[in-house]
Amino acid sequence: MKTSRKQSMGAKIFSICLWLYALVSLYPLLWMIFYSLKSNEEIFVSNPFGLPATWQWGNYVNAWTQYDVPLFFKNSLLVGAGTVLVTIFCALLFTFAISRLRWPFSRSVRTYVALGMFIPVQAIMIPVVQTVNQLGLLGTRWSLILPYAAINLSFATMVYFGFFQGIPKEMEEAACIDGANIYQTFLHIIAPLVSPATITIVIYVFLASWNEFILANVLVGGVAKLKTLPLGVLFFQGQFTTDWGSMGATMTIASIPAILVYVIFSEQVERAMTIGAAVKG
Amino acid sequence: MKRYLSNPLAIILFITPTLGLFTIFVFSSILKVFYYSFFDWNGVGTAVFTGVENYSKLFSSSTFATANANGFKFALVITVYQLFFASIFAIAVSDRWMPFRKFFRTAYFIPVVLSVTVVCQLWTSILDADNGLLNALLRAVGSDSRQNWLGSRYGAIYALAFVNAWQWMGYQFALIVAGIKSISTEYYEAAEIDGASATRAHWHVTIPLLKETYFFCLLVSVTGGIKAFTEIQIMTGGGPGTATHTLTYIMYRAAFVSHRYGYGLAAAAVLVLECLAVILLLNYLFRDREAKQLRRLAGGKP
Repeated sequence: MKTSRKQSMGAKIFSICLWLYALVSLYPLLWMIFYSLKSNEEIFVSNPFGLPATWQWGNYVNAWTQYDVPLFFKNSLLVGAGTVLVTIFCALLFTFAISRLRWPFSRSVRTYVALGMFIPVQAIMIPVVQTVNQLGLLGTRWSLILPYAAINLSFATMVYFGFFQGIPKEMEEAACIDGANIYQTFLHIIAPLVSPATITIVIYVFLASWNEFILANVLVGGVAKLKTLPLGVLFFQGQFTTDWGSMGATMTIASIPAILVYVIFSEQVERAMTIGAAVKG
Repeated sequence: MKRYLSNPLAIILFITPTLGLFTIFVFSSILKVFYYSFFDWNGVGTAVFTGVENYSKLFSSSTFATANANGFKFALVITVYQLFFASIFAIAVSDRWMPFRKFFRTAYFIPVVLSVTVVCQLWTSILDADNGLLNALLRAVGSDSRQNWLGSRYGAIYALAFVNAWQWMGYQFALIVAGIKSISTEYYEAAEIDGASATRAHWHVTIPLLKETYFFCLLVSVTGGIKAFTEIQIMTGGGPGTATHTLTYIMYRAAFVSHRYGYGLAAAAVLVLECLAVILLLNYLFRDREAKQLRRLAGGKP
């Protein structure tokens, strides 16, 4: 589109709009980081909008030592890692079986799991809580890990399925002739070949579980020692006037890992988040 | 070779973990939603079959009407807001000569990776009537249009929808950027030879060729409006009064506050059916999208 290289009046106004929206998109975040470094006096009276005049790093110390932030952080990390491991393990084995192995009904079984793409998490929240309770998982981290993994399986298997289809049949044939059994073939030949898909799924599932609120709220909302960061952040709800600085610090700490993952792997994150479009559409 | 790939033990070992997890947590849950929606049940005792009573109670309650209206408003706001900005910005950053395009992509996408509770908490502080940033900003520029954004009976749902739209605009933006990338540059060269301006070229080439992408964008935002929950739960608690109740919120309150599980599940069932209706309707409206897609892949004119 070479035509737009000429900076006409219209193009200038257009570029101002782009900058304005970038401000709308980023300023709330900057404002949060600013106030995480301010005193209440600065936030409300002397300097609500700009950079902190005196940088109150103490807010971070407060958040870390007085508000259980390390615990929330650890829970989020363990639940995220657990969900990723369970999802990858199940989805990789399953997709190998439905796409490479020969057996009746493999198509129907694939469709069955794909149905999950159309089931809203909100709608199954009540039965999920009851199932978790019946299995005796309430009060453990598995109460989050297993439902999270189950919900992500439809997505993960569909992403893997697309990848598996691109691998030539000769891979298994060669491995078979070389005397490898089916398990060895899977582990040493096929699994490494689909690692780009694995990376996409790891990023997607980790971010989804790191930020998940709806199920966490009803499954561990009442269990202080298992709360993840999205629930921990809400601790400050209703007590705004007391300690805004520490609230800002907690929210900033909760956001840093996801933002870092995005800034480092931006291409992969965007692909991981939007690949759902291709598999759903 | 056939025997090698039809090893029954391997097949059973490989599919059991996924089938087990999916069946236990997702598939059986959706069956339970519909089954128990016909029962009066407090979640622990025995369930008593009451036929369609939960549904008739739900349909005749005024909150149900409010919730559906809110779902519609929420869907409308996020769909219009996101598709409008996402389309314009995606077309802008797809121009390879555009300065700072990488910066804009990052700036627009960052809210997507934030936790929804951080976003809600942040916007609660911004929209707060007394100490909020927005009212402070309005005061600073000397305007007296400050408001109790989240406390207004009529306006609160729009404020909540805005927060959702603000967070997820970048998602639709990334979808459309990816869609544009897949369009062959030949179309634009042809448009340029025909003397079409950049705006006209986008209107007649980019937008029609993105049918598949828009189908998905609409699917996400319209069902997102019907399913709206987290913003309501965190920012207004359904209030003031029942002004910001949505279907999911009715379900949540029925089950986890007043322990009327059957009633809550009836709301959940309606939620699933409404989402399904949206999917079917969009599939119908976009029914020729795959044919076009195929023709495009085959190299023909759309």
